[in-house]
Amino acid sequence: MPKFETKEKFLFSLLGREYTDDELEQVFPRAKAELDEHDKENGVFKIELNDTNRPDLWSAMGLARLLKNYEDPQIKEYDFFSSKCFTADNKGRELHVGNRAKEVREFSCGFVASGKTVDEDILLTLIQSQEKLCFNFGRKRKTIAMGIYRNDLIQYPIHYDGADPDKTHFVPLHMEEDLTLCEILEKHPKGQEYGYIIKDKPVYPYLYDNAGKTLSMPPVINSAFVGAVEIGDNNLFVEMSGPILKDILLCASIMAVDMADLGFTIEPVKVIYPYETEFGKEITVPYYFQDSQSCTVQEIKHVLGEDINVEDAKDALLRMGVYSVSEGDTIHITCPEYRNDFLHPVDVVEDVMIGYGLENFEPTIPRDFTVGRLTPAEELGRKVKDIMVGMGFQEMIYNYLGSRREYVDNMHIKGDKVIMISNPMSENFEAVRPSIIPSLLESESVSGHATYPHKIFEVGKVAYLEPSNNSGTVTRNSLGFMSADGSVTFNDANSFINTLMYFLRTEYTLAVPEDDPRFIPGRCADIIVGGKKIGIFGEVHPAVLESWGCGMPAIVAEIDLDCLL
Amino acid sequence: MDIEVKNFHPLEVKLLRHVSAGEDITADRIVRELDYKIGQCNQSFSWLCAKGCLEETARKTVVTYELTDMGKAQAETGTPAQRIFDLLKGGEPLSLPEIAEKLGLEKSDIGSAYGSLSKAGTCAMNAENKAYVKNDALPADVTETAELLKKGLNGPIDETEMTDREIALMARISKKRGAAGSPYKMNEREEVTYRITETGLAAKDALLKANITGEEIGVLTPQIIASGSWKTASFRPYGLDAPVQRLIPGRHNPYANYIQWVKDKLTSLGFEEFDGPLVENEFWNGDALFMPQFHSARDIHDVYYVKEPRHCREIEEPWLSNVANTHENGGNTGSRGWQYKFDHEFTRRQILRSQGTVPSAHQLTKAKVPGKYFGIVRCFRFDEVDAKHGADFYQTEGIVIGKEANLKDLLGLLKMFAVEVAGATDFKYVPGYFPFTEPSIEIHIKHPVLGWFEMGGSGIFRPEVTKSLGIDEPVLAWGLGIDRMAMMHLGINDIRDLFSPNIDSVRTRRGN
Repeated sequence: MPKFETKEKFLFSLLGREYTDDELEQVFPRAKAELDEHDKENGVFKIELNDTNRPDLWSAMGLARLLKNYEDPQIKEYDFFSSKCFTADNKGRELHVGNRAKEVREFSCGFVASGKTVDEDILLTLIQSQEKLCFNFGRKRKTIAMGIYRNDLIQYPIHYDGADPDKTHFVPLHMEEDLTLCEILEKHPKGQEYGYIIKDKPVYPYLYDNAGKTLSMPPVINSAFVGAVEIGDNNLFVEMSGPILKDILLCASIMAVDMADLGFTIEPVKVIYPYETEFGKEITVPYYFQDSQSCTVQEIKHVLGEDINVEDAKDALLRMGVYSVSEGDTIHITCPEYRNDFLHPVDVVEDVMIGYGLENFEPTIPRDFTVGRLTPAEELGRKVKDIMVGMGFQEMIYNYLGSRREYVDNMHIKGDKVIMISNPMSENFEAVRPSIIPSLLESESVSGHATYPHKIFEVGKVAYLEPSNNSGTVTRNSLGFMSADGSVTFNDANSFINTLMYFLRTEYTLAVPEDDPRFIPGRCADIIVGGKKIGIFGEVHPAVLESWGCGMPAIVAEIDLDCLL
Repeated sequence: MDIEVKNFHPLEVKLLRHVSAGEDITADRIVRELDYKIGQCNQSFSWLCAKGCLEETARKTVVTYELTDMGKAQAETGTPAQRIFDLLKGGEPLSLPEIAEKLGLEKSDIGSAYGSLSKAGTCAMNAENKAYVKNDALPADVTETAELLKKGLNGPIDETEMTDREIALMARISKKRGAAGSPYKMNEREEVTYRITETGLAAKDALLKANITGEEIGVLTPQIIASGSWKTASFRPYGLDAPVQRLIPGRHNPYANYIQWVKDKLTSLGFEEFDGPLVENEFWNGDALFMPQFHSARDIHDVYYVKEPRHCREIEEPWLSNVANTHENGGNTGSRGWQYKFDHEFTRRQILRSQGTVPSAHQLTKAKVPGKYFGIVRCFRFDEVDAKHGADFYQTEGIVIGKEANLKDLLGLLKMFAVEVAGATDFKYVPGYFPFTEPSIEIHIKHPVLGWFEMGGSGIFRPEVTKSLGIDEPVLAWGLGIDRMAMMHLGINDIRDLFSPNIDSVRTRRGN
């Protein structure tokens, strides 16, 4: 979940008044926000946002916009947006996209923000917005990268194209050397971090002005000169690039309204593509591209269970910053410029819900009669557990992930049926357990100090490779038990199995197993039910005990309970 | 001081009743007078001292000498020196081997015994190397030794009753250890003298008053029942504050029990349980839940990928086509979809189930309407394992399908969980966000111990989820964070302890 930090004073100035922590906790849910931390000493709030589809809320400006409007609904007009029907004056500023951009990172767009001097608060909030939008919404810069530049130094038109990685060069931010694009990927920390996004492409994205000055190599690094925004700057060019046009346009809109809320004047830039895009060859940015969405009062009632009339619904939407008009029972909304999350009428309904106030819905109990029921496996498992407990065993419950060392090496088996993980966090959790027996022996290996005898069991799941299934694997419910002490033998295991099967009313026979290195030869048996092997038990081979570091003789057994259903 | 007469063992009782103030109490005396075994006697002394009923007044080392079997034989038939003298005195000179043979003694014994006679001038060797009696009187130490041996026949000799001369002689013929080859064994023991204390006297009075004799029946045996001897006897009562040994019983695991309890709660509320495999694919783990394949919402569900097989063979139709269309353009769900090209290979990529909502999605394809379903299933997350994150853990999720199911029902359901499952005293609802529900609601509860915390997330499944899986009715979906409640219930702070392999800690863990 995205989190951002903001100074108390900065947030309160945007909200128009001060709030106590209690008051913030009251109003934050309207934005699905949580007060994560309040550093009173430094006057800083840390705020967490839960809605990953609302990147507009991931800044103090966006959060304040919603909360302020909720209490005093006055939807702010932003007059700098172009759209399908209207094109704002770009005053000659253009961004030309070249033909080769397609080969690496297709889209770029930008706008100018001026008339406000960047101070410490503004610089911090811009850097944070950039981080949150590019990291959380832009998938770690893969789909959105953003650069902010000193507009005074730029000579229009700006050019965005795919460039030769070995011949193109500039001095990247935080370095003094002039490096080629290739060298930047190798040497610059940001190159090492984000280089993988473009590394294998024939050309690298390159942004430069008409005088040939480098702005940046998106999504990696700005230039040291034009791309180094500082406190005191008051004329900025904001640019986004990425492979999904709508995402970068939305991101530009969010940045534009945020900066307008901070007091900047937003001046559009016309982006000219050499090919058709879904919004044409020329797009003047910020650009309003969102579709409308509608819902009916019947849908609202159906989902929310409350009779909410058209006017109440429109008022609720207005509190959420969403302008709407009605046509009979149908409500048509205008999606705010900075949002694009109305995929379905239910998305409108949720805004109605929050705008109406969750506290105004009276809980009811579902009326439908249904029969409660456990799975047959759960019912059998409980029977088995009760018998095991009655025979003096302690029930255990284990993790299902472990190491190959535990599941295979220590058990002296081939392990060709073990499901391995291709991206393990560590070798301690690299395999799914194919059997409960290693879990039981792990217990034994860490419990030498516990009073003997040790009689433990688990009813749980195991999973292993099974080529005949769609997934090539199978998950089974299984019983495993172990008894360890100085005098335990095959006969004890045999008695436990016999007693268990008697009370489960299951007829079984024993058979000599095929070679199984887990057991002492001649001291283990297959359990056969209906002609099929459903389990095994016996004395654990001393070589296995030694691998586990166990000093006490032990018997173990495992039964596939799904075979008994 | 309070005397609890039940706390005295019969051995203590008899001893206390037997002794009086001022008397010396020794092991000798008790063994003799009460017919105790020495072990029983020492046991009683130690218990009574611990209870403050006896106190030690003196302690000395007592040395006694006791004839060995060999010593007894010599006392009766004479010492080797005596016997050689007697043999030679009445007959011809004999060589040492001849003497050994006639007396039936070892050559080595003959050697040392003859040595002592020869040294005292009693015997000598002639020219033929045969011994004869030279002086007709036995040396004094031979006759004195014989007397000392005879004295031992009356029982062990106390060193304090011996003369200095006897002690000197005894030193030659006794040994402390390995005395089988010597006539005497020397015994050394500590003799402690005790006296009854004020506490002891009070205890004795209490025992007399309670008429406890130490002859009461201890363990009731079948023989006592059969003989009827219990009819005239009384039973020794057991003390209630004696230390008790705890047993190691067969036992359910308290965490598993808690999960079972939650399952029972949910079935009692009309929910039917579902389950599913540990290995899943991207389709069911995310796509079917309308999580776009390349959206950051999938970042919050970082998953473990299965190494082999990397892909399942197929995804069942019509679900695959429905879901793919829904992602691309909304399909028939009334949505505009995510508007990207659905990846049919990625969707088959196999993973370990990362969220409890997955079996809920499966259940939609086979659910009855109306229907209520739940599952408590193991999930896996790609997370650093620490006190708050396990490699695998349980998630509790469920769905409610009904023609009229709506937000207010969802709130009611959450309220029911808060009260019935968590025992919450207060709760509040806040809007939440989940990629597969709209609207989404979290319930925060005030727990009697933990205070306010998020108990669960819920919502109404997006039509993109339900319609693609064949359900036209609204579906309420919910998940409960029972781990936290389980940890509180079990009094543990580290989530890894829920799955502890440590036998000792599991054996002793108790639920609240």
